[in-house]
Amino acid sequence: MEISRNTMEVAAAATTALVGAVVCYGSLENGIAWGESGPQPGYFPFCIGSLIVAGSLANIVYTLWKGAARASAVGPAGEAAGVVAAEPFIDGTRLRQLAAFFLPILAMVVISAGLGLYIGMALYIFYAMRVSVGYRTITSLLISAAVVLINFFIFETVFLVPLLKGPILEYFGIY
Amino acid sequence: MKNQVFRAGLLTATALAFGLTASGAALAEWKPDRPVELVVSAGPGGGSDIFTRVVQAALTKNSLVSTPLLVVNKPGGSGSEAFAYAEDNPDSPYKLYFGTQDAYVLPLTTKVTYSMKDLKPLMTMASDVFILWTNPKASGINTAQEFVEKAKAAPGKVRISGAKAKDADETLVTLIERAAGIDLAYIPYKSGSEAAIQVAGGHVEANTNNPSESLEQWKAGNQKPLCVFTSERLADKTVVADGVSWADIPTCVEAGINVKDFLQPRTVWMGANAPAEAAAYYTDLLKKVADTPEFKDYSTRNVQINKVLVGDEFNAYVAEQVKNYEKIYKDNGWLLSSGQ
Amino acid sequence: MGNFGQLMDGFAIALTTHHIMVMVIGVLLGLVVGVLPGLGAPNGVSLLLPLTFTMDPISAIILLTSMYWGALFGGSTTSILFNIPGEPSSVATTFDGYPMAKRGEAVRALTLAFSSAGFGALVGVLVITLLSGWVANFALRFGSPEYFGVYFLAFASFIGMSGGSPFKTLVCIMLGLAAGTVGMDTISGEGRLTFGIADLTRGISFLIVVIGLFGLGELLVTVDEGYKFDGVKAKLSLSVIFRTLLELPRYWVTLLRSALVGCWMGITPGGPTAASFMSYALGRRFSRRGRFFGKGEPEGIVAPETADHSAGSCALLPMLALGVPGSATAAVMMGGLMIWGLSPGPMLFTTRPDFVWGLIASMYAGNLIAVVLVLTTVPLFAFILRAPFSVVGPLIAIICVIGAYTVSNHMFDVWLALIFGIVGYVFKKLDYPLAPFVLAVVLGDKAEDAFRQSMLSSGGSLTVFFETPLVGTMMGLGILLLLLPLLSLLFGAIFGRGGGADAGEAADHQTSRP
Repeated sequence: MEISRNTMEVAAAATTALVGAVVCYGSLENGIAWGESGPQPGYFPFCIGSLIVAGSLANIVYTLWKGAARASAVGPAGEAAGVVAAEPFIDGTRLRQLAAFFLPILAMVVISAGLGLYIGMALYIFYAMRVSVGYRTITSLLISAAVVLINFFIFETVFLVPLLKGPILEYFGIY
Repeated sequence: MKNQVFRAGLLTATALAFGLTASGAALAEWKPDRPVELVVSAGPGGGSDIFTRVVQAALTKNSLVSTPLLVVNKPGGSGSEAFAYAEDNPDSPYKLYFGTQDAYVLPLTTKVTYSMKDLKPLMTMASDVFILWTNPKASGINTAQEFVEKAKAAPGKVRISGAKAKDADETLVTLIERAAGIDLAYIPYKSGSEAAIQVAGGHVEANTNNPSESLEQWKAGNQKPLCVFTSERLADKTVVADGVSWADIPTCVEAGINVKDFLQPRTVWMGANAPAEAAAYYTDLLKKVADTPEFKDYSTRNVQINKVLVGDEFNAYVAEQVKNYEKIYKDNGWLLSSGQ
Repeated sequence: MGNFGQLMDGFAIALTTHHIMVMVIGVLLGLVVGVLPGLGAPNGVSLLLPLTFTMDPISAIILLTSMYWGALFGGSTTSILFNIPGEPSSVATTFDGYPMAKRGEAVRALTLAFSSAGFGALVGVLVITLLSGWVANFALRFGSPEYFGVYFLAFASFIGMSGGSPFKTLVCIMLGLAAGTVGMDTISGEGRLTFGIADLTRGISFLIVVIGLFGLGELLVTVDEGYKFDGVKAKLSLSVIFRTLLELPRYWVTLLRSALVGCWMGITPGGPTAASFMSYALGRRFSRRGRFFGKGEPEGIVAPETADHSAGSCALLPMLALGVPGSATAAVMMGGLMIWGLSPGPMLFTTRPDFVWGLIASMYAGNLIAVVLVLTTVPLFAFILRAPFSVVGPLIAIICVIGAYTVSNHMFDVWLALIFGIVGYVFKKLDYPLAPFVLAVVLGDKAEDAFRQSMLSSGGSLTVFFETPLVGTMMGLGILLLLLPLLSLLFGAIFGRGGGADAGEAADHQTSRP
């Protein structure tokens, strides 16, 4: 699977345009007029939203226009004219690498939300060390335990900042 | 303090070793067995923050508690973040919430997730008074009468600054407007100290503020108190500046602005379902705090009215305040449409 | 100057063994706090505050300020090594610090950052020493329009120089402003852009944006680039540190300019974060090697670091003299002052000279100690970098997640940071500029507040921004900076080359605005 840069440009611009539209919509609730003693609360957000939409549309138009120009240039004479095919945004191998890196982080956050940050952290580090790096099970376990203990010491003991504990640690009386 | 930290760590370790659970330690005489969070409905440096930290200091210095105390600032959404936290932890006996009138006023004007049902009222530890201040050099205003005259001469042009919108300061300004029959331009700032500096710098004609945040500017001659919003004059007779003491400041009623007893209570709350024995323990504890030299010092410096309200007295006070605010807010058109 | 004698008295107070020990402890704790992005200086100082209740006020403030210096230095460390700014004010340090470290020159980058930061801090303290009385009065002249002027100037200096696609820059600025708008509106007391989501009424913290866009975003980019992370090459040799220290005087123009910008922003309400951005932008425009900024240019590290620290030092003055804190950390310290029984304000200098001058003297000493201590940590950090990315990467990810959580103890913030991480990755690959995004988040809502306060104050008239010489000058300069690229383009088109002396032209533009 490969995603071309142009596709991504358009997708990103479309997303920002959507965000802009949402901002505009949200600001309607606060009143978007310029009252007698200055702007109402929604005035600036509305302008901001509109400008996001406008800028995003300009980005889309620019990308498509450039794409069209390149397409016509990359004809039979294109190569000779020095026009190189655009580099893809991402190719299949990299996408897999990226997913292999990001999905475990996502899993950690999901687990942490339910079971607490320390458990999420421990599982994630163990997974990363065992599977991604390829350390032995015992080494990975030790690293994971060290990371958790160091964090626990710094946050809970030294600085008294409670991180999310979750039901399991609560059950064992760690708070 | 360091020792306490380590002791807490030890405690945790032993608890772990013996497999104790929190509920196992429920005795007749309730005591916290883990760090207690003091949740503040304001950011660092503000009035509520200092109030909370003074309580923390008094508890620590006098060794009134053995567990660590953590001050947690939750200023988001004008402080509603703190009380929403109470809603999320309704039965925790290890969380105290420190605020002002904001606890019961916020649900009236703003869309917040919590309601008064989520809070268990503990007490008011002291109340701040409000004073009307000006910079005589820049504004040419020397008395409250001159202030009213000036505002009458130029409706909507005399500027008055305060902290935040639709909070204590703006409420007070609307009361002044109605009592004196004038129209002022209210300008909200992020904090009372910022608002005070705008007056000291001569950019704004007047502000309403607690005494402490304008005291130093008064001594320096950049600000002057016009009148105080209480029914009686203040008690403190120590001379502050220009031979004038707190007790020499006229009440606003005397000065012709009929607004009296507008106070900012320093309140403490717990989650709605917190155990009664814990609430009793903290009430006792905080009563002791109110008698410590640290707290008395703080109270004197802030020229507060030292009246501790607990139990039914406090409940009655809150109920009355809510009614007052509801009426004011209704007149101002600030009430959330019912159903929220 | 009488100040000098008082400073000597201050040194007599500050330079006792006890106080020097306090400084060392403070700096070390600060370093730890600064390195962890979620904790940061304001949190660190407020966590230490209870310890100070039983100390005398002078030792207490020395402990807190030393921690502040330590945190500022620690913040730069993670910016350079991992592209995660530990402190908001060290975001601009990532722009050149991280590329330089990635190239294998981490030691040089760290040394440059620390030494120029030390220089900036000393200039800041010097300004406080010499001008304390004047500065306090000057700061009183800032009303809402002047506040707006300061923010506008900072913004203009940054935007005017930004390269790349103008539409992408526009979208980035506006997205940053939109993120800054979310939450409670100061002026109206209404929630904005919250869509009824309770978590959004708290607003989007700047730290979350930065942890996502820079920390997580950069991680993903590094993975995408096939784990190209040349930290391994980081040579651990003392001679690099010394060579870099000798290299520093060469950048004296940048050092001086940045220190001035920093002092200006520290005294005015701009603050250290805006100062570092502005200084970076000015450095990029006026330095001879400006076009290499962003690729690991030494001056690109020197400029923001110097300004950050001189602003950080100067920002303590408004706190002491006016009771208006110039930064979040100063706000916590101010709370401390009141608890110790001191009242910040114009009278503090006369009622407690021992406290004020003891503090100022300790700032000289504390910063020196901080520079020395932090330089000794360089080899340690260089050592961490030698681990392969597949090991360091997950650890950085953990730091980001914990950091996002500790900002205000909400899991929601962690989710937001993940989203910003993806945004950061996509934007970086598509050449959307991230710096204006961040600056907009920092300054956006402050600028809007100041603007609307000015409007309320003037009854809706825009002329208020040109009424006094002070605000008029700032606005004029800002507009000039905004138009500079356009003007030089215009002149370039007409005269082939040139486009320097166009002040008169810009003044015309200024009057033709509102």
